[in-house]
Amino acid sequence: MIEVEQLSKVYGSTTAIKDLSFRVEPGEILGLLGPNGAGKTTTMRILAGYLPATTGTAQVAGYEVHTNPMAVRQRIGYLPETPPLYPDMTVEGFLNFVSRIKGVAAGDRARQVNSALERCSLQEKRQVLIRKLSKGFRQRVGIAQALVHDPPVIILDEPTVGLDPRQIIEVRNLIKSLAGSHTVILSTHILPEVSMTCNRVAIINRGHVVTTGSLADLMHQLTGGISYELEVAGDTTEVQLSLQSLSSVRQIECSLLPGGERLQCRVVPDLGVEMGQEIAATLVKAGISLYEMRRVRASLEDVFLELTTEERTLAAADQPDFQSSSQAEDVA
Amino acid sequence: MGILIHNVVAIYRKELQSYFASPLAYVIAGVFWLLAGLFFVVILGTAIQQVATLDLQGQQPVDLPTIVLQGFLQVMGTLGLMILPILSMGLYAEERKRGTLELLATSPITNWAIALGKWLGVLTFFTTLVVPLLIYEAIAFSAANPPVRPWVMLVGHGGLILLAAAVLSLGMFISSLTESSILAAILTFALVLVLWVLDLIGQNFGGPVGAALNHLSLLKHYTNLSQGVIDTSSLILFASYILLGIYLTAQSIHALRFQRS
Repeated sequence: MIEVEQLSKVYGSTTAIKDLSFRVEPGEILGLLGPNGAGKTTTMRILAGYLPATTGTAQVAGYEVHTNPMAVRQRIGYLPETPPLYPDMTVEGFLNFVSRIKGVAAGDRARQVNSALERCSLQEKRQVLIRKLSKGFRQRVGIAQALVHDPPVIILDEPTVGLDPRQIIEVRNLIKSLAGSHTVILSTHILPEVSMTCNRVAIINRGHVVTTGSLADLMHQLTGGISYELEVAGDTTEVQLSLQSLSSVRQIECSLLPGGERLQCRVVPDLGVEMGQEIAATLVKAGISLYEMRRVRASLEDVFLELTTEERTLAAADQPDFQSSSQAEDVA
Repeated sequence: MGILIHNVVAIYRKELQSYFASPLAYVIAGVFWLLAGLFFVVILGTAIQQVATLDLQGQQPVDLPTIVLQGFLQVMGTLGLMILPILSMGLYAEERKRGTLELLATSPITNWAIALGKWLGVLTFFTTLVVPLLIYEAIAFSAANPPVRPWVMLVGHGGLILLAAAVLSLGMFISSLTESSILAAILTFALVLVLWVLDLIGQNFGGPVGAALNHLSLLKHYTNLSQGVIDTSSLILFASYILLGIYLTAQSIHALRFQRS
């Protein structure tokens, strides 16, 4: 449904994304996960046809974004980073307007608008002016405008930003309910969000796709990637034997370093096991001199470290907004 | 073609709706009607006094209604210079600031349709401002002797709306260049002022350049129309300004997305 190949985008002298490639299958929800400034918004904007790519191609629903923009625009719903809302319109009036410019037939309009209102739990707010809505409701109106014409492809740029925890759960459930009938690509910098909503994830960092796959695969890759590199002096078989005596070792490779006196070994532990101490203790007990030991991280982990994994901080930051939003609801 | 009209109408309706909800629109309408009424009374009063003086001196009676109408339309044109940039300033600048341009630009609707719909919307709003003037002019002129020919009135006000259409179209283009409404208003005002007095500038040049500048002047062509003179070259000039404005707007929005590259 979405095919991105070798996509690059250069702003002046800075490269926002470089040689980005990934695919999204029909009915799938793909999470574009990356720290802030990784190029997520740029990618979304190119897919939505708002920005032209510098090089490379992006196909959405079978049409190339740049050469066939109108065909693509008819088939996408797009929520930009800031929800595009007219403050002086009512929620219903705004959705009516969007359904018009998206080319929904006059007979279907009322039904489509109603179903979008319902999906985003906005029925009670249909006659309220958008400028009187709280941030959370505005975000939901933003999502509703991306759904109102029932497009096959939905592009959501940071859909849960600025929502309170309860609303985040609602929005995630809403996004999950779109799977199957719609192809969804959403961007986020929050790790748990991906695990809760997406079938598949593409991790991008500094404009590159680091990896794609299901989240389980990625976790596997992540922890599977930890290994220990040792430099020891001793007999190859002796070292290997003593290391094998450890319970959670999965793999051991040893090779003689130039000079013929020292060995370099790589020890891969079972998933999720930290065994640096054990290795050192075992080697010392066996009388093998240990010159160097390094814990080697998978490249993925660097990216993960920059991602928000803690949701509590996010919720706390939103607390004042939550209060003001309840006030706004009273006024409305 | 059908889809284009459908899209233009969608944008047009949205623009009109926004005037009903916008406090700025009410303020502009109130101020415009207040000033227009004030000027009409003042011009009428002054003209009647002048005629009375001429009458006392025993001179030939003058065509009072025509003098009043022309004087009033001149003042309305000048008032338009102030009000039109305020009407056009937010057309695109606001969309850019609010990020709604991203919605329009990713919808299956061309830049042309957006520009045309917006221009028609704001022009309709200005026309709504002008129509009530016709009512009180008609009341005042109903007792006039010699009577005012209705088509002179219509052509005069049509000229005012044509002038507005040209200014709004250029103002819309300027609005598409910036995210700041105030900046758009100031730049539009400056541009329109220059176009207004282009014939004066042209006089200083002389020769073919002067003649060309003279012809491009808004004031000169507006004065023709306000006197009830329909000159094809005036119509073509206003139409050119309108098309130029809409064309440049569509192009500037197109270029905006490439600029960010």
